[in-house]
Amino acid sequence: MIRGLWDRETVALMLLAAILPVAVTWLVIEGPWALARLGFFLLVAGLWHVLWMLARAQPPSFAGALTALALAMLAPEDLGIFALVLGTSFGVVMAELAFGGWGRNILNPATVALAFLGFSFPASGWPGLAIPVGWAVIPAALIGAAFGVISARLLLGALAVMALAALAGIPFPDKLAIYGVVLVLLVADPVTSATTALGRWLNGALYAALALMFAAYWTGAHPVQLAVSAALLTSLAAPLLDEIAIALWLTLRRRRLG
Amino acid sequence: MALWTTLTTPLIRQNPITLQILGLCSALAVTTKLDTALTMSVALTVVLVLSAFAVSLIRRHIPGTIRLIVQIIIVASLVIVIDQVLQAYFFDISQRLSVFVALITTNCLVLGRTESFARSNPPLPSMVDALGNGLGYSLILVIIGSLREFLGTGALLGYQILRTTDQGGWFQPLSLMQLAPSAFFLLGLLVWAIRSIRTEQTEPTEHEAPRVTEPAE
Repeated sequence: MIRGLWDRETVALMLLAAILPVAVTWLVIEGPWALARLGFFLLVAGLWHVLWMLARAQPPSFAGALTALALAMLAPEDLGIFALVLGTSFGVVMAELAFGGWGRNILNPATVALAFLGFSFPASGWPGLAIPVGWAVIPAALIGAAFGVISARLLLGALAVMALAALAGIPFPDKLAIYGVVLVLLVADPVTSATTALGRWLNGALYAALALMFAAYWTGAHPVQLAVSAALLTSLAAPLLDEIAIALWLTLRRRRLG
Repeated sequence: MALWTTLTTPLIRQNPITLQILGLCSALAVTTKLDTALTMSVALTVVLVLSAFAVSLIRRHIPGTIRLIVQIIIVASLVIVIDQVLQAYFFDISQRLSVFVALITTNCLVLGRTESFARSNPPLPSMVDALGNGLGYSLILVIIGSLREFLGTGALLGYQILRTTDQGGWFQPLSLMQLAPSAFFLLGLLVWAIRSIRTEQTEPTEHEAPRVTEPAE
């Protein structure tokens, strides 16, 4: 869809701008090592985008930088270059480029790459994120929601479930920063999340519910694994949530209009 | 010459797995190790050739209405024999193959060949066709089995080629390759590779992507 200025790359750039508070906070706290890591993932993802442009005339997208940032922040830290290149390539190629590029994919490439790494190297060391990075999620979400590139309904759905859990006395998982970063970077991706109004509420709610459930019952897994698994299942369920929303709308309409 | 074509066509051009997408269940389940994949390939090829021979011999006497029942009885009897042979001589591997040898009976590939070829051709061409299809199936199983065992454990046929990090080497085994989804990924990549080279196998597109243009001023 193109409306005036708003084509695919505008959305990708706005998303990048929205994520900047998180990215900058993370880079400032982690220092040059994080910068090198981000550069590495940018190189791998960018290389695949350029290769597909040359091979299939598929325009590269700035969204590749979002994938690289998510992987740099969340991928295991003690893996060799080979493993990281393999995981990134799998996510970028199989989940995004093979479907026709960003905007036509059904799963977020970073989610797929992280799930691939998680299943392939179960014993790897997952990174922890500093608490300020978690706080930086709030301005990121506000900027994204204000410009319409991150669905406010999705964020509110997640917050509603958190509020309900707090009222019911269910304990929040520790390392909330990781869940927040996964929410804005992976779950709220406008391409792979639900697209109907009700579907977006359900999408956010489902992510929060799954995350709380995994944190309570899945022992022995790192928070990144819990959050990424919740994100993967949520994006797999997103079409179903849309389908539910549309079916509900049709039923109500039929009842009202006969 | 015609027999040679019958034998080689199912290897890649009409491969039962990558083109006809038949016999996937066993192809995905037994390929975690190369030795199970090889055993399964041999078992299926033997059953396929013998059942094609038997069905082709009595093709003029099978009543059309009950032909599937007759074919299943023939295939099932052969499968029982193979299963017993495996249990007698390769007990360890037959344990690891579990039900998948018995499930050759319901393999679409076997019934597909007896129904579509052996039922209407003399014994020799039927057996050659069955052998070709068995080899085509085996080819894919061996490729996927070796990739999964090699990437998943760094070994081939149990012989350690790359030393894993546990053993003091550098190779980090991909545990994912020992799980079922990886067989789908590898098979998908294989189909992709074959169809990029042999473009005549590519299916027509079901959906035309909308053209992206600036809206009219």
